[in-house]
Amino acid sequence: MSKRPGGILAVYQYLDNVVDAMKAVQLRSDCAGHEVFSPTSYHEIEEALDAGPSPVRWFTLSGALTGTVTGFGLALWLDYDWPLVVGGKLAGLYSIPAYVVIGFELTILFGGLMTILGMLVMGRLPNPKQRILDPRFTDDRFGIFVPNASLDSEQARVLREFGAEEIRIIESK
Amino acid sequence: MSEAVKWNRTISDVNDGILANLGKPHPTYYLAWAGAIIFLLIGAITWGLEITYGMGITGKTSPVYWGVLITDFVFWVGIGHAGTLISAILFLFRAKWRNTVNRSAEAMTVFAVITAGLFPLIHVGRLWVAMYWIPPLPNTNNVWSNLRSPLAWDLFAISTYLTISLLFWYMGLVPDLASIRDRVKGVRRFIYGIMCFGWRGTAKQWHHYEAGYGFLAALATPLVLSVHSIVSWDFAMSIQPGWHTTIFPPYFVAGAILSGCAMVYTLLVPVRKMFRMEEFIRPEHLEACIKLTLLTSTIVFYAYGIEFFVAWYSGNVYEWGIFEKRAIGPYAFYFWVMVFCNCIFPMIWWSKRMRNNIAVSMFVAILVNVGMWFERYNIIVSSLAEDFLPGSWGHFQPSLGDICLSIGSFGWFMFWFLIFCRFFPIVSMSELKLIMPKPLSKKHH
Repeated sequence: MSKRPGGILAVYQYLDNVVDAMKAVQLRSDCAGHEVFSPTSYHEIEEALDAGPSPVRWFTLSGALTGTVTGFGLALWLDYDWPLVVGGKLAGLYSIPAYVVIGFELTILFGGLMTILGMLVMGRLPNPKQRILDPRFTDDRFGIFVPNASLDSEQARVLREFGAEEIRIIESK
Repeated sequence: MSEAVKWNRTISDVNDGILANLGKPHPTYYLAWAGAIIFLLIGAITWGLEITYGMGITGKTSPVYWGVLITDFVFWVGIGHAGTLISAILFLFRAKWRNTVNRSAEAMTVFAVITAGLFPLIHVGRLWVAMYWIPPLPNTNNVWSNLRSPLAWDLFAISTYLTISLLFWYMGLVPDLASIRDRVKGVRRFIYGIMCFGWRGTAKQWHHYEAGYGFLAALATPLVLSVHSIVSWDFAMSIQPGWHTTIFPPYFVAGAILSGCAMVYTLLVPVRKMFRMEEFIRPEHLEACIKLTLLTSTIVFYAYGIEFFVAWYSGNVYEWGIFEKRAIGPYAFYFWVMVFCNCIFPMIWWSKRMRNNIAVSMFVAILVNVGMWFERYNIIVSSLAEDFLPGSWGHFQPSLGDICLSIGSFGWFMFWFLIFCRFFPIVSMSELKLIMPKPLSKKHH
């Protein structure tokens, strides 16, 4: 596995500060590969990220459609493999209304499973060996990590300008 | 309404407040746990006896072959519904108060559905061959199960419901498990680190997480409405008087949410004391839960009324016969307990003072739970006991075995729920932070 780059990590206490810093950092080419950390999903950060709609929706859609096809397909295939003519009611396509339930449930099931998969794949999870830069990022602090920068660099100056309460070096590992 | 909540805490207090009590519950917790184990043992021993000696130890008798066990099944599936309502539907409605109670409500859903899932197995007796009766599995006769049967639909519905509720609940847990990982050391850190998938909380992860969460909520919403509709079709698709009605799906869904909200309240009140969560699960949030219970109680009240009206207005003697007997016949006791517990007692919640009186509300919430169990019993037993042919009528009485198995289900449910409370944050920390004041710098004040 390739080494993870070192860099500088800025810690912020306030949401508005980190959003302002984020917007500035995103415009700078010397901050490529930066990461923003947040304890929860503030919409201000999501808006500042400006990443467009998440591709998770394509996972959901493909899963849901696969589920619909599987549900109806399963029911019809069973019918044509061995028709169960109960109460004089014909099997197969004639019974389609009854199979709406199966089709519906599998739509939800496959859609849900694919949504989770999409979230994991897009979020690069699971990755239990990932380094934790600061334990406070799952508590009450925000952070911005800029790779390949030093404490006296131009990037550090920008981060500090927007009210970082702390900036420190992260070694490559 | 939660906008009116005056938080005297900030987001910095959330992790400390919630995780500090994770490992140190109030002593009553252990008492509750011991009670759960005893109940569970009673149920397990009875199930063992049932498998050894046969179905005779349950009260099932001709013509009532769906008795207390199916009542328990419907009851527990219904309990689960409030969890999904709170976590998914209220999420889509942006009802902020749900962020404080959704975690425990979702856990309740997962464990209630697991409990419900046991009952068809207990009910069939020879559970080791049950796999061949409903799921479409290849068998030696080359005959598939009949997917036009509501029982087969139910299998698909319940298993989908369990899977989706479990995923939704776990997905919500991931950021909180990362919070625990970042606070503990050694083996626990490693275990929580695996369980949270290595969550780091980057803006990109949150972006995809939020999208996924929204889609899961959007999928879970029609799912929760469909599941109890499908459970109701187990009855409504037959021609049994008292069952064969089109009102059943919405009537069952409303009843499920009524019992579920009452159960959420019944669980939250002691759990918030045991784990000292009073500062986060505020009286305003409990009151919101009561309002939902009151709303669904009025829907159920209306459904009972309209069901009676239609039975009379239809002019169908069999249908009306069942309803008349429910009210004044051999099962009248169950019927009136149901009416009083589900429709009459909850009406005290129109008073704000009563809604905010935790002792009174807790008592009424328990009564609603009792009433909803009686509702299912009433529907199932009275209709089966007396159908079209007076010559085949019979009478059903729950046996000691039935009662022990029902008690066991409460033990099984509480066993899992209490374990959950001990090792996982019972309030969703990342979502709670969202409804608290945002951490803004001075220039915004």
